Amino acid sequence: MSRRPRHDIDIRHDDAPPRRWSLPQAKFRLLLVVSAFLLGYFAISLRLIDLTLLRGGDDNAQRPAASVAGPQTLRGQILDRNGDLMATSLKMASVYADATLIIDAPQVAKDLAAILDDSTAAALEKKLTSGRKFVWLSRNITPRQEYAINSLGHPGISFEHQYRRIYPHGRLTAHLLGYTDVDGRGIAGIERAFDREMGFTGEDIRLTVDLRIQHILHRELEKAKTTFQAIAATGLVMDVQTGEIIAAVSLPDYDPHHPGEATDEEKFNRVSLGVFEMGSTFKLFPTAAALDGGAASFATQIDATKPIKVGRFSITDYHGKNRVLSLPEVFIHSSNIGTAKMALALGRDGLREFYEKLGFFKQVPVDLPERGLPLYPQPWREVSTITASFGHGVAVSPLHLARAAAALVNGGILIKPQLKLDSDTPLGRLQGERVVSLETSDKIRKLLELVVASGTGSKAYVEGYNVGGKTGTADKIGAKGYNRDARLSSFIGVFPMNAPRYVVLAIIDEPKPTKDTYGYATGGWTAAPVVASLIEQMGPLYQIPPDLSNTHDIRVEMAPYLKDEKLARKGSADATGTDH
Amino acid sequence: MSFRFLAVRDALSLGEKLRSIRWSFVVLLMVVAGVGVMSLYSAAGGSMEPWAGNHALRFGLGLTVMLVAALIDIRIWMQFAYVLYGIVILMLVYVDISGHIGMGAQRWINLGFMAVQPSELMKIAIVLALARFFHGATVDEVRSPLFLIRPLLLVALPVFLVAVQPDLGTSIKLLLAAGAMFWLAGVSYWIFAVVGGAALAAMPVLWAVMHDYQKKRVLTFMNPESDPLGAGYHITQSKIAIGSGGVTGKGYLKGTQSSLDFLPEKQTDFIFTLFTEEWGLMGGLLLMALISSVIIYGYVMAYANQSQFGRLLSLGIIFNFSMYAIINMGMVMGLLPVVGIPLPMISHGGTAMLALMGGFGLLMSAYVHRDVRFSR
Repeated sequence: MSRRPRHDIDIRHDDAPPRRWSLPQAKFRLLLVVSAFLLGYFAISLRLIDLTLLRGGDDNAQRPAASVAGPQTLRGQILDRNGDLMATSLKMASVYADATLIIDAPQVAKDLAAILDDSTAAALEKKLTSGRKFVWLSRNITPRQEYAINSLGHPGISFEHQYRRIYPHGRLTAHLLGYTDVDGRGIAGIERAFDREMGFTGEDIRLTVDLRIQHILHRELEKAKTTFQAIAATGLVMDVQTGEIIAAVSLPDYDPHHPGEATDEEKFNRVSLGVFEMGSTFKLFPTAAALDGGAASFATQIDATKPIKVGRFSITDYHGKNRVLSLPEVFIHSSNIGTAKMALALGRDGLREFYEKLGFFKQVPVDLPERGLPLYPQPWREVSTITASFGHGVAVSPLHLARAAAALVNGGILIKPQLKLDSDTPLGRLQGERVVSLETSDKIRKLLELVVASGTGSKAYVEGYNVGGKTGTADKIGAKGYNRDARLSSFIGVFPMNAPRYVVLAIIDEPKPTKDTYGYATGGWTAAPVVASLIEQMGPLYQIPPDLSNTHDIRVEMAPYLKDEKLARKGSADATGTDH
Repeated sequence: MSFRFLAVRDALSLGEKLRSIRWSFVVLLMVVAGVGVMSLYSAAGGSMEPWAGNHALRFGLGLTVMLVAALIDIRIWMQFAYVLYGIVILMLVYVDISGHIGMGAQRWINLGFMAVQPSELMKIAIVLALARFFHGATVDEVRSPLFLIRPLLLVALPVFLVAVQPDLGTSIKLLLAAGAMFWLAGVSYWIFAVVGGAALAAMPVLWAVMHDYQKKRVLTFMNPESDPLGAGYHITQSKIAIGSGGVTGKGYLKGTQSSLDFLPEKQTDFIFTLFTEEWGLMGGLLLMALISSVIIYGYVMAYANQSQFGRLLSLGIIFNFSMYAIINMGMVMGLLPVVGIPLPMISHGGTAMLALMGGFGLLMSAYVHRDVRFSR
């Protein structure tokens, strides 16, 4: 066959034969191949042990009767606080074929295609002629379709009935509720957190969430996200007295009926799993710490004229007033220098210890499997105190922020966020740890109210409701350090201020400025309006009586501490939008 | 080409050959195939129909093929290596053409009494042809890149013919087996490095020409839980079933996979799942031990060969077997993507069984004739 010169060799020749292959090399190569197989075998054995021993028991424990024929416990429903349905299980049919029993495949395919709208006759015919004894034709068909297919009377077509989880509100509750797998086991969200209760005993779970408020929040965030061409938006409404989560929205979202089609970005729960550097909304906390420890009062004068230099860092203000500011002025102008000085006044570990007390270094204790682990400087240096005072260098979830803010305005008690409506708990305050005094809480309320009345948060002003809040605009970390054009703009609002009941948080991720915002994309311009519209709609729904008397004006009350008289009198319309 | 090497004195008598056959290997194969029959009996819900009886019959046929192949002188196999390769190539061309005439993918030739899948036969034919080629090569020749053009063509032709069926999975398996042959023949390391680098570079291109279902398989492998209702269904179900077996299993005929159709392909690709669900960790490890005994036995017999042809042929055959076993078991446990590889000797499948047993016949023939004199 080959034209090359050839010669015979005798393998068993007594003299050392001229070998066609090098023996040591061949041995070594064979050894490598065999080693690779041994490694593969080892990996497979480990995996087998992993599946049978380590996970097997787990699976069995969590899967009562899912894979066994016979009656299975009907998974419990999920209801909102008013008893409205959020998730339920419906029996649905899936149709399959035994291709070996199909008589006239083209005709059967044609008939089925007319009934099943998700398949073409050609695709069905391919399945029907596959020769397989089992091939799915369509999953989760309607009873009407099942009836129609049965009426055809073609042999070899059968149905399998399985319970399928249905979320009547779809995307609206996607991140909150999570979803289940084919066996009806909870994989994410509430479905996972209360899998045992709903799966085993068929118990219904009633949540603290109000679908109406959830809907309003979702709509307003969606609007803001579109208007400002943001990449994401997050919002949260929480009862500051009880810790009950009334609404929680994370955008972009996904269809919980088809979680497999969602991207990771869409499935990511930004409310509780995402951690972000929050920016200026964090200034609430060093301010509260300074007021609480007696390090400062409303009358304290802080020199914010010169930048703070720590090593190679230089802390400046975006719109410094170039004069000595009072504590309320530092807060409403959102001065970085002023806030940092207050934080430094707390001593070396003062701010770090306060943040720890507020739960910023741990996961939030909440009934969701998706709980983000905060990031914070370790070790904590002096510069950490400075940056952390205005919300940089510490990343927490929106739920962390809302919970801590709630503690500052509810009288000073840090409580556990609630998702399951517990009829055993008497209405009113839940137990928790005191983080600031009643007096400090009262002062924080005033500061928050002042921000909306005359500071950066004027866009959160709602006629008739005393709204308080704090803006935040954090530059996001890009490839080359902080990026001025990619921001996380946020607003944390509280209402009604005379007796704080709800904290409302809105975060817009990377908003782009529009004509209407005069080129601003800060928290005051993008997130505050979301909070305002929500409060505007939620107030009447919750029958919170509006106060239209105009007798109370925080600007008058706080006037002694505000040097800038223009500011003290200024109305809401011309308030600045430049915050940081 | 003359037949003069048949005339040499060391032609063995039939009795000598029968005595040289490693009957313990044959028994080992019978045990493994027995496990297959048993599992298929359970897969059908406790019935010999439609798979178990058929499997036993095919194994019997395969055993006959194996023994006949083992008794035929290895030098005859070497002489006809290219001829057999050519016949299988023609079969591949035939299915490709008839596939175009018929509708859609065509991988079978119907012989009346059974359907033959030429791509399965090619797995053996390619090993034969490459062993034949490298047999005559000197160490220096093998190291020369230009010398490798012809064996590369030997590989490229069937890979192309199988890929256009379209059966990308099988063509990749052919490539892997061929790669192993080149490796064992002593091709230089740097050539492997270059080819490996080129393969990595070609990945994006390959991705672009892959069918959507193939892409989905790869993506689902990366994250099966992402699509529990769709393409990830098989892997997730398989892992749950294996896990539910625990240490000792649910007991023979008591697995859920046999009575319920969670896994549509339970009798072929997912037979290992069914087995471990019923026999648990102990059964799974035992089956793995059985299969690895076949592999180790195979390598030992291959190692006894004096000739390059016999050595490469034996190694190629046992490499194929061990590769399929590992890929299949890795696949059902979610370590590897679902690529449609049956578990050799256990899964239901006619051509695969015949090709495998024929291959073992060649392995045995090489062993029986391990010391004979070879012309080049």
